[in-house]
Amino acid sequence: MRDIKLKSQRNLFQRFNLEMREHMPVAQQALVIACGLIVGLIFSALMLMVSGVSASDLLNEFIISIFTNSRNINAVLSFSAPLIIVGLAASIGFKARFWNIGIEGQVIFGAIGATVIANYDIGPDSTRIVLMALVAALFGMAWMILPLFLRLKLQVSEIISTLLLNYIAFNFLLHMLYGAWKDPVTSFPNSKIYDMSERLHKIATLDVSVSILISIVLVIVVTWILFFSRFGYAMKFVYANPSMAKAVGINFGIMLSVAALASGALAGLTGFTISAGIDSRLTQGFFVGYGFSGILIGFLARNNPLLVVFFSLMMAILMVAGQTLQVFYQIPFAMVQLIQATIVICVAASEFFIHHRIQVVS
Amino acid sequence: MSSVKIAKKSIVPEADDASGTMLVLKNIVKTFGNFTALDDVSFGLKKGEVHALLGENGAGKSSLMNVLCGLYAANSGAIYFDGQPVLISKPSDAHSLGIGMVHQHYKLVKTFTALENIQLENGAGPYRASMKNLQQRAIEVCGRIGFELELDRPVEQLSVSEQQRVEILKILTANARIIILDEPTAVLTDEEANQMFGAMRSLAATGCSVVFVTHKLREALNFADRITVMRAGRKIDTVLPSQVDARSLTNLIVGENIIERPQRSKVVGAPKISVSGLSKKGENGFNTLNNLSFKVNSGEIYGIVGVGGNGQNELVSILGGLSRADSGQIELIDHGNIENAEPLELRNLGVTCIYSDRAKYGLANDLSLAENFAISGVLAGEFGNRYWVNNRRIRSAAHQAIETFDIRGVRALHQKTGLLSGGNAQKLVIAREFSRKPSIVIAHSPCRGLDVRAASAVHKHLIHVRDSGGAVVLISEDLDEVLQLSDRMGVMYKGTIVAEFSVPADRNNIGRAMTGHA
Repeated sequence: MRDIKLKSQRNLFQRFNLEMREHMPVAQQALVIACGLIVGLIFSALMLMVSGVSASDLLNEFIISIFTNSRNINAVLSFSAPLIIVGLAASIGFKARFWNIGIEGQVIFGAIGATVIANYDIGPDSTRIVLMALVAALFGMAWMILPLFLRLKLQVSEIISTLLLNYIAFNFLLHMLYGAWKDPVTSFPNSKIYDMSERLHKIATLDVSVSILISIVLVIVVTWILFFSRFGYAMKFVYANPSMAKAVGINFGIMLSVAALASGALAGLTGFTISAGIDSRLTQGFFVGYGFSGILIGFLARNNPLLVVFFSLMMAILMVAGQTLQVFYQIPFAMVQLIQATIVICVAASEFFIHHRIQVVS
Repeated sequence: MSSVKIAKKSIVPEADDASGTMLVLKNIVKTFGNFTALDDVSFGLKKGEVHALLGENGAGKSSLMNVLCGLYAANSGAIYFDGQPVLISKPSDAHSLGIGMVHQHYKLVKTFTALENIQLENGAGPYRASMKNLQQRAIEVCGRIGFELELDRPVEQLSVSEQQRVEILKILTANARIIILDEPTAVLTDEEANQMFGAMRSLAATGCSVVFVTHKLREALNFADRITVMRAGRKIDTVLPSQVDARSLTNLIVGENIIERPQRSKVVGAPKISVSGLSKKGENGFNTLNNLSFKVNSGEIYGIVGVGGNGQNELVSILGGLSRADSGQIELIDHGNIENAEPLELRNLGVTCIYSDRAKYGLANDLSLAENFAISGVLAGEFGNRYWVNNRRIRSAAHQAIETFDIRGVRALHQKTGLLSGGNAQKLVIAREFSRKPSIVIAHSPCRGLDVRAASAVHKHLIHVRDSGGAVVLISEDLDEVLQLSDRMGVMYKGTIVAEFSVPADRNNIGRAMTGHA
């Protein structure tokens, strides 16, 4: 009559029951995520060892030389500045459920904006660098207007529109670099080198780039907005339940627009800190490893600006060590991306244990 | 003496009455963390009976049924089906045993049509053939139990009561032998409820067993063969309706007597809000609102009663500022026209709106109690300013509100709101909305799914607003509630107020108006 077998005993597998967990103390959450991170690192180390880097070399390249060699520390810090800003860009968009996958495009346009100012020597020398930053933010924001408009007026998913605009931005960048902005001296596809007044310098006393200061200020500002201001309070509701947010009187459209535009502006600034802080010119591949890293960092940090700093530093270490591995061990750059992905998957999987509890049933 | 008899009866496990027993749940224990939802509960269901499971919100009725249908795994205890022990560890186990459940919050894919939802649950074989087959079965079942339903309309366009019909059809077309209904009448009119129970009775006559979870005494007494009462995670007793009356049953449920009496308004003042000529076109081209007008005076509760799907949702959403009418005016007498006001503006004018869909419009379930409580105040600048939200003040205010509004089941202020039971979640909504002292309240089915105690608390707050000179619009599908609370009432039918009555009014006349025979 029924094809189900009537069972009265639970097998071993059925003795474990998954249950939703209502709340986990923050310390315990951190522990779970740390475990995920460690598992990810172990997997990454194994992969590198399989491809021929010995364990002692790994320890040396990833930990000892990073933290003892001042040149490496500097490299990590200067890589992490744009990573922090781009992580913030992702986080502030995600906080409003605006899935900005087009960070790369906005990074590109931010750098293009900065280069417009630098190339045509707009404004006085003394304040040109400030103008470059502002215009970069503005260009990043402008690149966001179309997806935002489509989302608000026509309900077009921003995931698609921002993603596609990445390709347009990239091709526009190539168009400029192979055309009007080709280096007049070398004829290479990169813009002419920025003047000294157009670069982000090191702070002489500390020997760190100004861009790290910019990123720290931005972290503080974003933390304050998200955690302590009324705007941030309302934002939580936009994220948790948009219909309810509208019903209690939160202006959903404005909240979403502000978050999306801020995300675009921060991404634009990222482009500026890379081109003015690291490359001192606009190159055709300057954004590689930054655009999508921002999304990863935002995700790993669960949109928390303070955690963004932590994960950005990790990513920066990975990038610096990855360069060494590339040069001295012939490990391809793809391996760095593979490690990134492994870590993301492990941390994402560990979240499962934050939301669930395994219960033994008799 | 009769209580002795009852007690004796309940000591004997239902399993012993082997003749007709279809299903026995024995010594079920279910905990969530430190919280014990079911504490050693046993429950027996006979073949061909209609069984009422009665209790307050949070008494464990739904948890027990969720164990039965495989959604929760019990920590310990056993389930016997036809005398044999069975293991129900996932919903599909329950499904193949012929156990079907209609949940209080419907599990429907909103963008699918009614029929597609039925197919999603029960479809087997080629798509077209099974659609055709299910359509015939659904139409047949609809005819048998007198359901009116457009099977080809997307669920999101259906009213709550129509959505429930889809849920019931889902399990009836699956030939379930045990049918569990969680709060089935919360959204039905008297007439529909009677029809539904009539249908359940005829199902029982064919050998199916029906369990309905409810907190309405009248239903349990009128429609059940046996009544099991639960309180605070424990089974109190299983009784026959003939052995008890409303009073002794209430005693079993809450351990005390709660009887609400109508309290009419003493001072009805000047008009406060006037709605005139409201019209709005629906997606199918017909008017969901059709030249709807009413006026409410200060110190008055104006009830709007009607079968679900007659434009109530649209009306509430326009009154709350979430959508716009195509034409018509809403006027606050001492302010001016507000039909184009944004929700925040309305709230600052003292208009507050309690939506019937609490999960969608009332609360953000993933956020904490304190956050859900404080958001209105924060937006109005009560806790700190634009640049700084004072969390310490929020916590103390939330703490106080939990005391004042008697919100139970709170273990911590940072606890997720989704963990509150229906009644307590509604109390939280009320706490948020009423701590800002609104002068106009629009409440849409505010007591849907609430038990006697919670409902009477909500009613008390509505009456309080009225007595302090406010105006209340109570839109409900529950005629009893409207008759008990309102001072004046209108009947809504096909998007307009077809008749107005001053309360007390004749139920029959109202019933005729509700079905379009005013």
